[in-house]
Amino acid sequence: MTTTKKTQFAQAMEQHKGIIYKIVNSYCQNKDDRQDLAQEILTTMWLAYDNYNNTYKFSTWMYRISLNVAISYYRKDSRREDKANEECIVKIADLSQEDESNEVVKQLYEFIGQLDKLNKAIMLLYLESESYESIANSLGISKTNVATRISRIKHTLKLQFETRDS
Amino acid sequence: MNLDNFKSAWQQQSTDTHSAIEINQAKLAEIKINKQIKALNKMKWARIIESCVFLIIIVLLWKYIAAGFTFSAPIISAFILNLFAIIGLAGNIGQIVLISNIDYSKPVNQLQKDFYRVCSHKLELTKLLLMSVPFYLAYVFIGFDLLFGIDLYQYLELHMIWFYSLSSVLLFIATAWVFAKLNYKNISEKWVNASVQFIVGKRLVTMAEFLNSSELIES
Repeated sequence: MTTTKKTQFAQAMEQHKGIIYKIVNSYCQNKDDRQDLAQEILTTMWLAYDNYNNTYKFSTWMYRISLNVAISYYRKDSRREDKANEECIVKIADLSQEDESNEVVKQLYEFIGQLDKLNKAIMLLYLESESYESIANSLGISKTNVATRISRIKHTLKLQFETRDS
Repeated sequence: MNLDNFKSAWQQQSTDTHSAIEINQAKLAEIKINKQIKALNKMKWARIIESCVFLIIIVLLWKYIAAGFTFSAPIISAFILNLFAIIGLAGNIGQIVLISNIDYSKPVNQLQKDFYRVCSHKLELTKLLLMSVPFYLAYVFIGFDLLFGIDLYQYLELHMIWFYSLSSVLLFIATAWVFAKLNYKNISEKWVNASVQFIVGKRLVTMAEFLNSSELIES
């Protein structure tokens, strides 16, 4: 990779690193897993950056790679033993230690955590205000599928809040 | 509370969490390979070795056929087993191409299907072996010819030939049914789920469940 490309990657990464934070916190319950997944996402993006086609928005490309890595992420317990030998490329703060003021976001993470892998991806893209078409393209499913799932997610969320309020 | 009301709080998070994630760009720039790519490379090498084994089997079977080319049971058996070995080799070459073309920027569902195909290799090999079960006599005929130099078929009585033929047809129907059933689309069936988990492992079951659920609404 050329130095210019490396710099471009570093800048784009700094600007959009929040995406990694959102994805690892949505897909992993455990702190070690979050750290490990963040590292896998970041290194996969780094290794794939040579093939990055700039007709796509960087954030769209980043979401696709991150979601693909997160969905296919599978960690055997034995791999935890390798941890000591791993170099730490990314550090993620613990969600529970984050600013207490944003209770809404915490509730959202709690809700996302209960969804299945595909609905988590849909929810994450929807919350970023992506259109149904863009979500369908990123996930490789139909627009109707996206619309149906979002409507079901909204309904479940509404029920959960109603139950909580009562 | 509506989901849309959460959007702004969610998007605001990007600025709030800026300090919550630190990236060591210098260390990142040194990375040449990661765990996922290492695992894929390992799989690719395993498929290359398997391809070599299949190739050796094909060559040996062709040598066997060429050495005693007649219209006999052992030679026909060698042709049948050769066909299975060729299917196995073709499947392995397909896997090597598939692994080489893994692209993480593909739409999620497409990449997950590719991953499923890569990870279900052991299942496909088992299915191939299963499909060769109705042709079990092919192994017996070749075995007798190689070990004792006897064409067993010549010594079989007519009622035995009928018995073996009928049992092969019944086995073919049964194995073809199992072959068709062992697919991610049927993962919700308990025995399919248990078989896939037993043959390959929990990971493939999870992948199958993901693909199945993503296609549920489409159909």
